[in-house]
Amino acid sequence: MRSFRILTPRDVATAVDQLPATRGPATREDARVLAGGQDILTELKHDLIAPEALVDLSSIAGLEGHERTPDGGLRIGAMTRLVDLERDASLAGAFAVLREAAASVASPQIRTQATVGGNLCQRPRCAYYRHSHAPCIKKGGSECFAATGHNKYNAIFGGGPSYIVHPSDLAPALVALNAEAVVVGPRGERRMPLENFFTLPSEGSILRENVLGKNEVLSELIVPKPADGTVSTYLKFRERESYDFALVAVACTLRIDGSKLASASLVLGGVAPIPWRATRAEVLLANAEVGVDLVRRAAQASIEGAAPLSENGYKLPLTRNLVWKALTALGAGGAR
Amino acid sequence: MSFMQEEKRPGKKKIKTTRVVNGLDVEEEVWVDDLEAPLFKPREECRLLGTRMKRVDGPAKLTGAAEYTSDVRLEGMLYAKVLLCPFGRAKVKIDAAPALASKGCVHARQLVDETKYLGQPVAVVAAATPELAEDALRALVVEYEPLPWVLDRGQALAEGAPEVRSRGNLGRPTEDGDAGEVEAAFAQCAVVVEQEYSVPVQHHVCLETHGTVVDYRGGEDAIVYCSTQSTHGIVGDAAESLGLRKAQVRGIVQHMGGGFGSKFGLERAGTLACEISREQKRPVHLMWNREAEFLTSGNRTGAWQRVKAGANKDGRMLAMSSDVERYGGIGGGSHAGLPYLYSVEKSLRKHASVYMHLDTNCAMRAPGHPQASFAMESVVDELAAGLGMDAVEFRKRNLNSPAHLRQLDRVAELIGWNEHPNRTAPGSVDGFEAVGIGFGCSRWGVGGSPVCQVDVRVMNDGSVTAEVGSQDLGTGTRTYLAAIVAEELGRPLDGVQARLGDSRMGNANGSGGSTTTPSLAPAVQDAARQMRGVLSVAAAEHFGCAPEEVVLDPDGARAPGGKLTWLELCALLPPEGASVRGTWQSDLAVSGVACTQAARVRVDLLTGRVKVEKMVCLQECGRPLNRLALESQIRGAMTQALSYALLEERRVDPQLGIALSADLETYKIAGSLEIPEFVALVDDDDLREGVAGVGEPPVIPGAGAIANAVFNACGVRLRHLPLTPDKVLNAIEERKSS
Amino acid sequence: MTTWNVRVNGREVSVEAPPMARVLDVLRESLGLTGSKEGCGEGECGSCTVLLDGRPTCACLVPIFQVEGRELCTVEGVAGTELDPLQRVMIEAGGVQCGACTPGIVVSLRALLDRDPRPTRAAVRESIAGNLCRCTGYERILRAVEELVGSEEADA
Repeated sequence: MRSFRILTPRDVATAVDQLPATRGPATREDARVLAGGQDILTELKHDLIAPEALVDLSSIAGLEGHERTPDGGLRIGAMTRLVDLERDASLAGAFAVLREAAASVASPQIRTQATVGGNLCQRPRCAYYRHSHAPCIKKGGSECFAATGHNKYNAIFGGGPSYIVHPSDLAPALVALNAEAVVVGPRGERRMPLENFFTLPSEGSILRENVLGKNEVLSELIVPKPADGTVSTYLKFRERESYDFALVAVACTLRIDGSKLASASLVLGGVAPIPWRATRAEVLLANAEVGVDLVRRAAQASIEGAAPLSENGYKLPLTRNLVWKALTALGAGGAR
Repeated sequence: MSFMQEEKRPGKKKIKTTRVVNGLDVEEEVWVDDLEAPLFKPREECRLLGTRMKRVDGPAKLTGAAEYTSDVRLEGMLYAKVLLCPFGRAKVKIDAAPALASKGCVHARQLVDETKYLGQPVAVVAAATPELAEDALRALVVEYEPLPWVLDRGQALAEGAPEVRSRGNLGRPTEDGDAGEVEAAFAQCAVVVEQEYSVPVQHHVCLETHGTVVDYRGGEDAIVYCSTQSTHGIVGDAAESLGLRKAQVRGIVQHMGGGFGSKFGLERAGTLACEISREQKRPVHLMWNREAEFLTSGNRTGAWQRVKAGANKDGRMLAMSSDVERYGGIGGGSHAGLPYLYSVEKSLRKHASVYMHLDTNCAMRAPGHPQASFAMESVVDELAAGLGMDAVEFRKRNLNSPAHLRQLDRVAELIGWNEHPNRTAPGSVDGFEAVGIGFGCSRWGVGGSPVCQVDVRVMNDGSVTAEVGSQDLGTGTRTYLAAIVAEELGRPLDGVQARLGDSRMGNANGSGGSTTTPSLAPAVQDAARQMRGVLSVAAAEHFGCAPEEVVLDPDGARAPGGKLTWLELCALLPPEGASVRGTWQSDLAVSGVACTQAARVRVDLLTGRVKVEKMVCLQECGRPLNRLALESQIRGAMTQALSYALLEERRVDPQLGIALSADLETYKIAGSLEIPEFVALVDDDDLREGVAGVGEPPVIPGAGAIANAVFNACGVRLRHLPLTPDKVLNAIEERKSS
Repeated sequence: MTTWNVRVNGREVSVEAPPMARVLDVLRESLGLTGSKEGCGEGECGSCTVLLDGRPTCACLVPIFQVEGRELCTVEGVAGTELDPLQRVMIEAGGVQCGACTPGIVVSLRALLDRDPRPTRAAVRESIAGNLCRCTGYERILRAVEELVGSEEADA
């Protein structure tokens, strides 16, 4: 690891001050935020970044921990460790999706250190991106090697010019819960739906996966109160069950009112450069009568518009079937 | 048995002895152990051998006290690290001066001007701490000029491809068989299958990487600590690299973190460490990192296998033709050949190596066999299915060894085959999931060799040591070294101290081919029996009886004339104690062990997940020494086979010339959630008196059994390992739509 | 170089190291605690698992400065002078072969049992999901622990 300064600010404003003064995506050398370290330390090891400083957030009071808001929602500090979500049995019903997503991340050892903010801001796992001698488009090169090379793990939605998939498990879960991201920068705080925090390679900067500027810190997530009776689940399918990133994951929340689906949220992981909302399926589900046929149609709709690459066509049936499993498990197919 | 017949009992003899009956001396014949014949005691008489013994090094390993090569810390030690070429092939220009100028760095140099394979070490540095060595590596100024490479079959065989070796990238094929005869035999077949089967390159993934620590500070002596499968095998190479004579170098291998065939010599890490140590006159520590372990420490040969096979309506395989390509990188690769294990009346075969700019293959747990077994077990299964014949029955009609026939019946019973609905036709892809059962068989040569010299010593204070310069890869060598001696001398297991892993001790072979046990254990038994003789003579003199009449048991020694405690017995020895050296005894080693396995899988038809639920293995091993260790070896082998079947695969990008699976995230091995219920059984119908090792045979048939189970479950035949969900799901979808 | 104060295996320790030194290196190089092994250096094998404030953590992925004033427990600190029951059952069940992964597995299991003395079978399995083993096949380790604590529920 090349040498750099370690900064340990005691509050978020100081942390922001210690980050670069300019805006835009961080370059290889720019100072970076250090949260749980479980991703960034390997990036340093492989020389993917060579920052002049690391700004450690672990000494900042108030960033770690999650709690119910007075209105029945959730506030989650960016430094909350995944293990603390995983072990919170009160995260049930509408929030089960969050707990299940946290429990599905990497391995027990990683989850004790990894943070919510870090999970949302981790960099892609694409083997080309992670290879220090593959000058791919995500690292400032001109080509996405996965587009024509090995792409079994890459995107079927939202790809181009890069075909990475977003590796976060919490992202689909939190997007499905309509969470808001709180971002602190030199000019104070800004809030946005977490869904808008993430950016496609074709829209934001190709060098990053979200709107976060190099002088900004993701400080917390606010989850609004879900409607009473909402149920949820996170289905993650891994090539290696013991620990792995998702081949496909489905975050689903829904509320059944009598024989109708009062609301449904369906967000996919492992299929796109961002947590991918299965909008067509959601439209089908909204206010529809529950039933096996509805579930089948929604599952099919969830893969409409997919554009598989040479090696990842399997993600279509896999996505469709996992959506089917998730909706069925939550009762959208009717009583079981 | 008739009274008149001359009775023979192995390891026993009759002696005449005098007994006092009603005050009269009566001479009679009694059976005693033949102290000249170093056989093991009869199984039923053993207290230790054949039971489940806890490994003697367990406590050291469970508490972190066990010292592995990577743990050796010496005064003034340097840490060395290497830089690997990231490209398939390149010219390399390195300015080492900035590294040498970096803090704590004392050695930095370029190793090659032009690389021969992806990941070849191109520079080495040594510094005072691991971090400083890492810094020095980063300080190297490196320029690569990529040269054309070939990293897959297509590139290797393309016209005008750069040559991996001067005689071309396609090795000269070996062929045998008579094409006319085979063609005629095919004409007699009721069913013919013609398919292609492939297996990827697999890595050993030893948890402890390759590496060496050299303790040399100038002068005439050096100690070389090495993570190796051959304590004696490293001494010569180390001496050469250090500029010393063999007698001046001592190899130490106390504990080592897995080898699986990849760690026989001093290896590149070792020679580099020696060279630096020689130059610096300081101890040097050089362990490969995980990336180097993946790219430059050997691997299991990949293979492409085109097979045509046919059977008559009675289920006899009449004909097979096969065309096999071996992918062993810059090495030739290994493949056991087809037909494998099963008898086929007429066969025509062709084998050739395809060379690429990847590190050479090396031995890996039954080298060449799992590849052949996967193709063979698959095609056997396809023929059985083609005939609508029970897969077990079909196998029995084409296997010769009685051991396999009885093993198949037993394994079929244990896996639940006889109650399984899909015995003659596979299940379908309808529904959500499907359960299937598959089988596979193997045979391994094992056999020992007369190389080991085992020293057993008993001191007059009762302490006992058994020592030999062999090594314990984790398989349990140390434990049976103590146990065999303890058994023979009537001592508890902890009453014998086993010492190994030191080249100053008696000679021993490298641990390969499952030959450690059949080479070493007979020599241990020989020494133990000799020592028993020495102690029996001492006791006999004391009691005034024949040595054969002395019985050594946990209480000490007893004879018709009385009893001695163990301490009293040992006190009869001279002050320097007694020592003996044992050598190999051919009667105590067996050759040829049969293995049969079955796997039950559950295929999730919605995701393509193949979940292995249960694996059964019945393994011959001659006389079992330590069941706990044997069963552990068998389970571990099944796990590696499962991992090979479902997950493992080396991946490179042939265009960019880079590795894409050189870490444990992208190269996936089975973890705790992949593990089925294992039934690991030592085949107790194998009544041979000799011993065998079982490192290799149970790793061979598992992948074929799993692939067959997938077919049996849902009728989807997968012919290319690994059976990852993408392939399985694609095949299911294809079958659904057809 | 900075001096860091850490409680290691119940003992207060002061150790000099650069702030980004990995906890694994500090343990192995500075404190001579070589029980924790380096298998990958990237959090993928679990061989370096230690307890950080009681929680299993990859020592290769934590810099020493983040551990100031906190508590570490390595495999050397899992037992006192006697083996603890967990270590005993692993030996008895044949849950150890080459032993390179063993320290990490012992620590992961210790963490589980400290938190939950009667874990389900699924929880036992999950607790070592981040510890790779190439020799034993895990199964005996799982059974040993299940027998030790009397896990009853079948795997999910």
